[in-house]
Amino acid sequence: MPASARRVSLDTWAVLLSLTLALLVRIGILKVVPW
Amino acid sequence: MPQVIAIDQPNTATKPATSFLGLIPGILLLAAVGYAGKFIEQFIARYGKSHHLVLPNIEYVLWAILIGLLIANTVGVPELFRRGVATYEFWLKTGIVLLGARFILGDIAKLGGIALLLVFIEIGLGLAFMTYLGTVFKLKPKLVSLLAIGSSICGVSAIIAGQGAIEADEEDSSFAIAAILALGAISLLVFPLVGHALHLSDRAYGVWTGLAVDNTAETAAAGALYSDAAGKVAILVKTCRNAMIGFVVLGYAIYWASKGQAAGIQNKAAFLWTKFPKFVLGFLLISLLASVGFFTKPGLLAIGNLSRWAFLLTFAGVGLRTNFRELTKQGVRPFLVGAIGEIVIALVTLGLVFTADRLFRL
Repeated sequence: MPASARRVSLDTWAVLLSLTLALLVRIGILKVVPW
Repeated sequence: MPQVIAIDQPNTATKPATSFLGLIPGILLLAAVGYAGKFIEQFIARYGKSHHLVLPNIEYVLWAILIGLLIANTVGVPELFRRGVATYEFWLKTGIVLLGARFILGDIAKLGGIALLLVFIEIGLGLAFMTYLGTVFKLKPKLVSLLAIGSSICGVSAIIAGQGAIEADEEDSSFAIAAILALGAISLLVFPLVGHALHLSDRAYGVWTGLAVDNTAETAAAGALYSDAAGKVAILVKTCRNAMIGFVVLGYAIYWASKGQAAGIQNKAAFLWTKFPKFVLGFLLISLLASVGFFTKPGLLAIGNLSRWAFLLTFAGVGLRTNFRELTKQGVRPFLVGAIGEIVIALVTLGLVFTADRLFRL
């Protein structure tokens, strides 16, 4: 399998980052995010 | 990678740590441009309030795009920043996944069901009309396929997916991408104006933008330029369109393989999974978690704001990667085919939205 096919896709990284951020909010580490 | 997008793919030979550090200057530039847009919006609002003036409320989205355009088309984006600026697509997808927290699954099922129906009609009409136009204008058959894929589904990502599957020339995909990006830049100005002129509701405008604007970043920006609610709906509808990418590209791959001009697809299920945009699943997962009460109310607000920050970086990237000089290098005919096709698709989808609004009360 070529190396490029084994690499994690951009979409997957975006999903992983989003889930991590959501989890940080859920467990109270990220309590307030100002806008 | 075509020159027109001005986004270089990361060099795979680079070590991961060095590769990551190389992204930082560009990401900081995205943040600076996006935040400058937000600052200008707030400054004008504060100035108007303190001086008792009624000033137009121009959203940070437009300021961020304009500042980005100004940089890209005057001094240009220096090499040091380019790889980081190219991450705007990553922030777009992160923003979409996090946006899931602002949708209850019931809303997605209702609006998504109507949107899917409209998306099927739009894709069918878009593919047929673009193919007809390309043939009339005597464009190369594979360029016609790429323009049809790009304008009926999701812009640049669909063209890149299609290029690999139907084995089109780099030059063809470069032309198709340039046409879609140029038309996307124009739609940022035109769609909000038409929406306001027709007094479209946030939902109707969002559905229209989601159906008719091709590139997801431009869809998000055109929606947000109208209102926050319209931006949300536009992204939901566009996500439905994006989910169709695998099926359409597979159809074209099979067509060109049957003509002996592309390799056949052995495992169709695996092909569909590879082409399926995974961020759609992330969006649904976050929405599911929000719907079952996994997040508290302040938590939902925090996730919604994280999504807004991710979009802020995206909108800065939309301006920074649009280089008008590069876009004009594509030649007149592909642009003309794209422009005529886009205008017809925009008008037809506007009719569809009006009909759906009457029937289903969007």
